[in-house]
Amino acid sequence: MLDIKNLHVAVGGKEILKGLTLSIQPGQVHAIMGPNGSGKSTLSYVLAGRAGYDITGGSITYNGEDLTALKPEERAAKGVFLAMQYPVEIPGVTTMTFLKTALNSQRRARGEADLDAIGVLKLVRAKAKTLNVSEDMLKRPLNVGFSGGEKKRLEILQMSVFEPKLAVLDETDSGLDIDALRVVAEGVNALRDPSRAMLVITHYQRLLDYIVPDRIHVLAGGRIVAEGGKELALELEAKGYEHIIKVPA
Amino acid sequence: MTGITALGLPEARRNEAAAIFRARGVPHRRVEDWKYSDLRSALGEAGVGAGQAELHTLHLPAGIETFDLAGTNPPDWVREYFGQADRNTMSAASLSLAAGGTAFRVPKGLVIAEPLKFEFAGAGHVRGLLVLEDGASLTLVEGVTVERFRNAGLEIVLGENARLEHVRVSPNAGEAVMVEEVSVRIAQRGQYRAHFAAFGSKLSRMEVEVALEGEGAEAHLSGVALLDGKRHSDVTTHVIHRTGNTHSTQLFKHVAGGNARAVYQGKVTVARGANGSDSNQSAKALLLGENAEADLKPELEIFADDVKCAHGAAVGDLDAESLFYLQARGIPEAEARGLLLQAFLEDAVAQILNTDQRELVRTELLTALKAIA
Repeated sequence: MLDIKNLHVAVGGKEILKGLTLSIQPGQVHAIMGPNGSGKSTLSYVLAGRAGYDITGGSITYNGEDLTALKPEERAAKGVFLAMQYPVEIPGVTTMTFLKTALNSQRRARGEADLDAIGVLKLVRAKAKTLNVSEDMLKRPLNVGFSGGEKKRLEILQMSVFEPKLAVLDETDSGLDIDALRVVAEGVNALRDPSRAMLVITHYQRLLDYIVPDRIHVLAGGRIVAEGGKELALELEAKGYEHIIKVPA
Repeated sequence: MTGITALGLPEARRNEAAAIFRARGVPHRRVEDWKYSDLRSALGEAGVGAGQAELHTLHLPAGIETFDLAGTNPPDWVREYFGQADRNTMSAASLSLAAGGTAFRVPKGLVIAEPLKFEFAGAGHVRGLLVLEDGASLTLVEGVTVERFRNAGLEIVLGENARLEHVRVSPNAGEAVMVEEVSVRIAQRGQYRAHFAAFGSKLSRMEVEVALEGEGAEAHLSGVALLDGKRHSDVTTHVIHRTGNTHSTQLFKHVAGGNARAVYQGKVTVARGANGSDSNQSAKALLLGENAEADLKPELEIFADDVKCAHGAAVGDLDAESLFYLQARGIPEAEARGLLLQAFLEDAVAQILNTDQRELVRTELLTALKAIA
């Protein structure tokens, strides 16, 4: 589903990703672990199509298509979803209005009919319940005044509403206490599906206790430096990144 | 011709106003208050002309007394309140040149739910007077018709505990040059709320002076401007806290694209002894292009000791992170920009209490946003 080959990315002229190769099949959950500054967030933004991230080499192929040629909104409509580390606050747009606008934009781009307000409301309410997203949150301006946990739950709610094919979760565990982490992880696990691929980006092994990956990649210095099964996370936890990263500085 | 100036206004007052205008002439950019709005050059050789404009009443709720300012034998309340405001150059011009206008009086204690609707129409100068006696309450919806040039002067007098909400939408008026001066006096615990939505023109200026004269008087001013092309819009306010324990807020949000220019000049004066006054002033502008301009000039003039005054002004462009977030959720760029602009303007629009008017302003903005984003 997703094939990243020898990807080089520069931000403001500085190379951050230096030949990253990664491949994910439908139904799989992959984790990317790595220390701060290893290029984890850069990878997530490049996949979502954020401006200012220059691809200087390599390729990203998504379902046989060159992902890099698509605008962020086109990627979303084709099923790419990025749960962001720092969801933005948008005063003046209610969460419900935002969800409806986004969902119908994606549907329109796929040639599907708009869902009416009541249809969207029903869909969102049903999914919101299982994620502890209150009716009040849906009425408030998007992310404004939300706690860290509420923001992350809302990211997962969006993922559940948009039903993406490829979900990238960028440090979804950051800033969460253990209860919030569990709610978020359960939400993610409920979305595991044979047709859906997930890329879970995290600094800590903790999240992977709840979302158990099929494969773990260790990112350091802009490259994958180690790969393995779920046991790799435990090894990292026990011995630290220093032990595994043996790349020259 | 017997204009209002000869009738609704004593000869001496008219001469005074005429003298003020004659001495100052048509304001131009070297006059500090008109730095961003060069009326003289916008008018060119045509100048300010004569007073042919009129006030058209579109909806008059029951219970409101009116007087045609061009008529004879003005009632006492017109004699008492009309023609007081002339410190403003253009207001002095309309006082001395206008030949038409209407005065309205809402009697003591009368609370009117449906709005009074009127518009200034035609080219030239025109005057209006609105008096709300003690305890009266009203919504004023002011429309604006497009003309080559119009200068309108409106005086508003609010008695004790009187409440007025004033909503004015001025449409995209192309090549028009339109100025208006509103002068408001508020007695004890009276409350004036105003919202000015502006879509601009060649030169378009709304100037409002509010005097909080009685304890507990309040003024809440808000507005939005959405400009594109070569359009200009200027809102200039002066809120004067003459007495203590008075309260004022201002919230203006402006968006300018193309070669447009959005101006906000806001002065708050707290008079000597007006202790316990509270004023908050906020003006923000978003620029959509390199050639657009926003001028924000908040000013404070404080002569009292125990006051709370806050002001802020900021010019920026659309937040790239927010834009990316919306696009990454599937919302096309143009629509995402529109949504963010709408969100930027929303808190100012939300100041409008009248539900119908609030929705109307929202709708006007949405239509204009589709063209601008």
